[in-house]
Order: sequence, then C-alpha cells, then structure tokens
Amino acid sequence: MATHAAFMPGTKVSAGSVIWSWITTVDHKRVGILYGVSAFFFFLVGGVEALIMRLQLAHPDSTLVTAGRFNELFTMHGTTMVFLAIMPMSAAFFNFMIPLMIGARDVAFPRLNALSYWIFFSGALLLHLSFLAGAVPDGGWFGYANLTSHQFSPTHSIDFWMLGLQVLGISSLMAGFNFIVTIINMRAPGMTLMRMPLFVWMSFVVQFLVVLAFPAITVALILLMFDRFFGTLFYAPSGGGDPLLWQHLFWIFGHPEVYILILPAMGIVSEVLPTFSRKPLFGAPVVIYSGIMIGFFGFGVWSHHMFSVGMGPVADSAFSIATMLIAVPTGVKILNWIGTLWGGRIRFSTPLYFSLGFIAMFTLGGLSGVMHASPPVDLQQTDSYFIVAHFHYVLFGGSIFGLFSGVYYWWPKIFGKLLDERLGKLHFWLMMIGFNVTFFPMHFLGLIGMPRRIYTYAPDLGWNFWNLVATIGAFTIALSFLVFLGNVVKTTRSGAPAPADPWDGRTLEWTIPSPPPVYNFAVEPVVHDRDDFWVQKYGDGHGTPPRKPSPPAHVDTSSIHMPPPSYWPILLAGAFLFMMSGALVSIYQVVLGAFLTLFCMIRFMLEYHRPAAGGHH
Amino acid sequence: MAAEHAAVAHNPNIGTTGLDHRKMGMWAFLGSECMFFGSLIGTYLAYKGKSINGPGPHEILNIPLTSVSAFVLLMSSLLMVLALAAVQRNDMKWGKIWLFLTAVFGAGFVGFQIFEFTHFVHLGLTLQTNLFGSTFFVLTGFHGAHVTGGVIWLLAMWWLAVRGKLGPQDSLKVEICGLYWHFVDIVWIVIFALVYLIP
Amino acid sequence: MDSSHAAHAPAAHDEGHASVQTYIRVAVVLAILTAIEIGALYVPGLPKHVLVTLILIFGTMKFALVVAFFMHLRYDNKLLTVLFVGPLLIATGIILAIMALFGAYLLLARG
Repeated sequence: MATHAAFMPGTKVSAGSVIWSWITTVDHKRVGILYGVSAFFFFLVGGVEALIMRLQLAHPDSTLVTAGRFNELFTMHGTTMVFLAIMPMSAAFFNFMIPLMIGARDVAFPRLNALSYWIFFSGALLLHLSFLAGAVPDGGWFGYANLTSHQFSPTHSIDFWMLGLQVLGISSLMAGFNFIVTIINMRAPGMTLMRMPLFVWMSFVVQFLVVLAFPAITVALILLMFDRFFGTLFYAPSGGGDPLLWQHLFWIFGHPEVYILILPAMGIVSEVLPTFSRKPLFGAPVVIYSGIMIGFFGFGVWSHHMFSVGMGPVADSAFSIATMLIAVPTGVKILNWIGTLWGGRIRFSTPLYFSLGFIAMFTLGGLSGVMHASPPVDLQQTDSYFIVAHFHYVLFGGSIFGLFSGVYYWWPKIFGKLLDERLGKLHFWLMMIGFNVTFFPMHFLGLIGMPRRIYTYAPDLGWNFWNLVATIGAFTIALSFLVFLGNVVKTTRSGAPAPADPWDGRTLEWTIPSPPPVYNFAVEPVVHDRDDFWVQKYGDGHGTPPRKPSPPAHVDTSSIHMPPPSYWPILLAGAFLFMMSGALVSIYQVVLGAFLTLFCMIRFMLEYHRPAAGGHH
Repeated sequence: MAAEHAAVAHNPNIGTTGLDHRKMGMWAFLGSECMFFGSLIGTYLAYKGKSINGPGPHEILNIPLTSVSAFVLLMSSLLMVLALAAVQRNDMKWGKIWLFLTAVFGAGFVGFQIFEFTHFVHLGLTLQTNLFGSTFFVLTGFHGAHVTGGVIWLLAMWWLAVRGKLGPQDSLKVEICGLYWHFVDIVWIVIFALVYLIP
Repeated sequence: MDSSHAAHAPAAHDEGHASVQTYIRVAVVLAILTAIEIGALYVPGLPKHVLVTLILIFGTMKFALVVAFFMHLRYDNKLLTVLFVGPLLIATGIILAIMALFGAYLLLARG
C-alpha cells in the first residue's frame, strides 16, 4: 500500500489515474483541498453575482438587469456565499488541520469524510443546475414563507433551492459527526481538552452547532417540500397555517449558523495572533469558555431576526436581552486578542494583517449588531441597508478576513510553497480599502431609508452618491482577488519551497514536513502543554526548559497503514443526488434513486465487514 | 515502536477515551435526531387545536389499536436487547431468532401505521385536509420511515448472520443497530404521549 | 419466552452490565406504565391537568428506562450521557419555546 508516495514507485502516472486518485481519496488532507478549491471557485461565483448587483445599483433607474433577475442574484449570492463559500472554506481547514493539530494520522471516519465532500459537491451542483433549467432560486437566501408557496412561486426555482439546501445539510451533518468523534477520541497522548489548540476548540463547538442546528432547517425544508409537492398546510394561511413557523424554524437554524460561520475564523485568529506576537493567547481558557458560551447561548437568540413580525413584548424582550448578553463573551474574546498582541514582539506578516483586519472589522460589525439587538431601534434598521452593512462587516470583515488569514498562514503547510509577502500585503490593503468603501456607506444608506433587496431606486432620494461609491469599492475588492490569484500562480510556479516551520509556530502541525506525508506523523507525538511545540523549542518561561528534539527515529514508515481509497463515497453521493433531483423530474426517478441509494449505503457499510486477514479500516 | 504498531493494528476504531468511534458517532447522531424530531414535535404542538375544520384527533384516533402497536414497538426493544446479549455470548442461533423477531415486531408496527393511515384517509383525513392532517401524517410518517429504515438494517444484520458473516466479534455493530432501534422506540414514547394520549 | 431464556445465562461484559433478568423486568415495568397511562384515559371525571401530568411523568419515566437500561447509558462512559442529554435538553427547550411563541401552552391549561 502506498505510504508517503502518492503512487507506488514505478506506477505509470496518467491524468486518468491522478483524477481517479482524487475521486476515490479518503485522505483528509486531500478532502480538505477539494473543499478549499470548491469554496474558492464558488466564492468567485458569488462575487460575480455581487458585482452584477453593484453595477445595477450604481446608478438610479438602472435597467442593466430586471427586477426578477435581481431577485435571483441576491438569492444566489447569499446562498452561495453562506453554503458554498464560507462553510466549505472552513471545512477545508477542519479537514486539513484538525488531525494535524491534535497529533492524529487521520479522522475517525475517512470514507464518511469523503462522502460528505461529494454530497456537498452534489448539493452545489443541484443548486446551480437551476441556471441550466432557467429556474434560478429567487426567494432570498432565507426563503420566507409563503412567498415560497406554490401559489406565489409556481416555477421550479424554489424547488432547486429547497432540494439543494437539503443535500448540503446532509453533507454538513456527516462532517459534524466525523469531527466530533475525531476531536474527542483521536487526540495525541497528553493532549487534554484544555491543551487543545484554539482552532480545534472553536471547530469543536462549531460541529455541535452544526449537528444541532441543521435538523431545524431540515424540518423547515421538509415542511416546505410537503406544502409545495403534496399540498399540506404548514405555511398556508388559508388552511390555518402560519408563515411565521418557517421563520422560527429557519432562524432556529439560522442564528447558530452565523456562529458556525464566524467561530472557525475566530479560531484561526486565535492561532495567528499568538504566533506572530510570539506570546501565548492571552487568557486561553477564558477564550475557550467564551466560545462555548457563544455556541450554547446562540440557540436562544433566534427571534432577534423577527423583531418586526409582531411577537409581542414578552418575546421581544426575552430575545433582546439574550442577544445583548451574547455580546459579552464576544467582547471578552476581542479583549483577549488585544491582550495577546499587547507586549508581544510583533512580526507583521500577511496572516497577521488579515487577523488584525478581522478584529477591527468584526468589532465594527458587532457594534452595529448590538444596535439591532434593541427591538425599537431594529424596527428602524430592519430590512434596510443598515442590516446589509452589519452582516457584511461580520461575515466579510469577520469570516472572510479570518479565513484569508488562515489561507496565508497555512498555505505553506498545505502546498509546500510560501506565498509572496508583498503581494499578500497588497491583497490585504486593496481588500481592506475596497471592503470599507463598499460597505461602510451602506450604514448611511440604511439610515436614510434605502430598503434591502430593491433592484433600483429613484434618482431624487439622495441615495445616488453612496451607491456609486459602494460599487467602486466592490470592484476594488475584485481587484484584490486578482492580486491573490496572481500570487498563487506566481508562487506555485516559482515560489520558495516552504520549510516545516516557516513561522516559528506553536502547534503540532509545524512539526511535520510541508506538505505533510500521507500518514502525517511518522511518530505519534506526546503532548505535555498547550502550545506544545513552542514549549518544546523554547520552554514555557516558567521553569520548563526546552526539550531536546529526540534523535530522528528510524521509523519504518512503509509499515504505516493508511486506509485505502474507495469509490463508494462518490457513488453513494451520486445515487443520493439522483434521488433528490428526481423530485423535479418524476416519482420513478425518486423511487429508483432511493433503491440505488440504499444499495450504495449497504455496500458502503459492508466494504470493510469481515475484511481479508491483514486489512482493517 | 513495535508496541505502537501493535496498538494501531489491534483495533483502530477504539479511541483515547476507550470508546469505539462508531458507538460515539451513533450517540452524536442520536443527539442530532433529538433536534430533528424536536422540531417536528414542536410544529405539531404549535398547531395542535388550531385546525380550521375537522376531523380532529378526538374524532379519529383509535387509542386501543394504537396502544397495541405502541406495546409492540416497546417490546421490540426488549427483543433487540436479547439479540445483542445472544450475539455477545456467541449464541448465534438465538441471535438470529431475536434479530428476526425484532424486525418482525418493527414491521408489525409499520403495518399498524399503514393501516391507520389508510383508514384515516377513508375517514376523510389527508395531508391536505387540515393542520391536524398535515402535522399528524408528517410527524408520524417520518417516524415510521425511521422505523422502516431500522427494519431494513435489522434484516440486513439477520441476513449476514444467516450467511455466517455475523458473530460475537461484530457485537458492536449489533449494539449500534440497537441504539438506533431503541431511539426510534423512545421517540414513539414521546409521540404516543403527546399525540394520542394527551387530549 | 421468559423461562426458556432464563436458562441462557448472559456472559459478563467488560463494563458493568444488566442481566437478561433486568431487561425483562424493565420491559415489564414499561408495559405496566403504558397500561396505567391508557387506563387513566378511561377514568371518568379525572381532571385534565392530573391526566396530562401523569402522562408526561410516565412518558418521561419510560423514556429514561429505555435510555438507561436498553441503550446501556447507565453502565457506559459518562461522556456518552453528556453527548446525548445535552442535545436532548436543547431540543426540549426549543419545543417549549415554540409552544410558548405559538400560544400552545394554552391547550394544556384549558379544560
């Protein structure tokens, strides 16, 4: 069985066999790269959707796109950015880095992991098949009932959205179960939970949010599906149904979802700041507990998205207070990050720039968020561009900046090449400037009355100037991505190879080569401290001296068995896609798809049942 | 190093807590399923008593009949536990019998449900009739679908045993199947109480 | 079923383990609780809040018995209990919140 070589020596490597090896991979590192490349691709797709919207809104009374097309654009932009860009980019890091950071050779369920990627791919495909079908989703990324009913959305557009999200949800759930077990059950000896890196901790909290929040949207979508396909009355006022049921179920998912979107980035920042301040994270246990609190209490605030629907003063007050309380652990984290930088010997690298940008931009987004936490204030701000400003500050200024910090930080480990620092900083400044030029004016636009989701506006409302400014900012952001792409191309071709530890890092991933061998660790590490690698190199400043690195063990790595590739993940994902898309075609396809899915599931589960002697999974 | 290899080769599915990954994974899955059924049950309760027209639960639910099916499902959990105990002590003859009987009881429950559903349709309650129809059929229907999945899983285990491919070394797999099966039973305990018993 | 099975003594498991006898006893208790619940429905003049309380309590007891004994949580690593009970509590909280938000609690009070 192949170990550190991708192929057995002497194997003829053709393009076909390379593609096949990626299709059947169960290596968490490759799955991570698949997620990352997909995420970046869809980030560009969502970005183009944004640019078209900004072109349309740059001038009043514009006719670049129709109202209907604009609805499709903001729906797909939101859906794509949330589910196909930010989440999979976080997943890329979960996949690649979690086993490395806990000193493990693999994840708990390698084939389930691969399956979750191929199901993600299926969901993304299903969503975008809507373009080919000429029925692009247009009900907003949050699909409020009863606009989504058959009566008001008679075409298949909402069906594509509904089914696509259902498939994507299954993917996230599977990954959630995998990482929960991996983090609990596969940490290296000595790595207690409190010695676990912050990125792993935040990811751990996120997996629980995923497995607890996604079932709510699964149910919401099932009820919608039954209303649309079978005439049930869940969201139908004519039958006594309440469209608010959708909003509640959606936001019971949707609020934890936004923490799913931000916590990984917070985890990344909590790794980058200590590394480039050459100081431990200030108050690491407190940051961990804050993350847990945010995750837990995040389940209690969902109706702050619904202050304008008339829930009554009791509900409004309850959710308002809970929302304001959540700002506390969030603020604690921000203070701890600043405390990490304070007194550190700072190295101003690109990863650090993006993390600093995160802190600043996320804080601004948090401030506008706290404003919305007050129902009377929110009645003014809701459904206006003030909200658009808020969530872009936390999701772009927060998540995206944080994720890019991770990209620059971990790129050398993943690809074995260093990204160019000058181009990286140019990317940062263009993105920082472009981002603020785009989204800061939206606070003003919201306050002077510009509603969300309008495709154009009259010229005499006083909105012209800032809309034009925002559009210029948007194209500046686009330019910054071209710089990033250029950086990638340039360094892939001719960049310096990266050493194992380019940043003088603190955590276990920096102890192994860049890129890591397929088995990650030749020798299973034994952990004695938080930031164990740093303590190993330099001692902990409190009496623990540096540990002499053990002489290179003569490990026979050819005897390390990694799980073999499997084609059942992609086959099962394909069968599942066939079944789900059958809902748009015919009942026969659904039934046939169900049988195929069952068949593939059984074969998947029995693949290693009673294996031949010597094999194991 | 030899000891390390021995540890890995011994059982790669056991983690640092001493628990098998797959058992832990199933419990995490069941936690998630609590939220799934919780959302469906919440929906049922939100709409309880709010149907604009009949028939309503008091007119149509057959408590005596459903009590029998609830009892059947409850007893199937006992059969499942007996199946696991048999497999663990390498008594595959009784292992097969109990596994098969568990599946039969489960299928019996599903049979009761199908009868109940078709009967209700005859009496004028469909998915589209009113909120009770929508919520009742979707909640109990998805539960029934979960039971059906469990029956298929049980029959697959039984078939493996019949072919001689299931033994005490596979008792963890039987245990995990059992965890799913018992969960489906406890969800019914909740549904039975909230939908059928509570007026 | 009972007598023929008592002859097959169960092997001791690694963790603490319930015996087949215990399982059968639990099953009997479950059956009895269910019988009482159903019987209570036919008691004439039983106040509704008493009936509802009884059903909820007995339902909880049955739930706990199956989880603790049949699903073996009582004898297993406490971690598994946390892994299940945490989500269970959150789900229960969500159900109660939805009931409150939709005025469903009125149903339990009425009548």
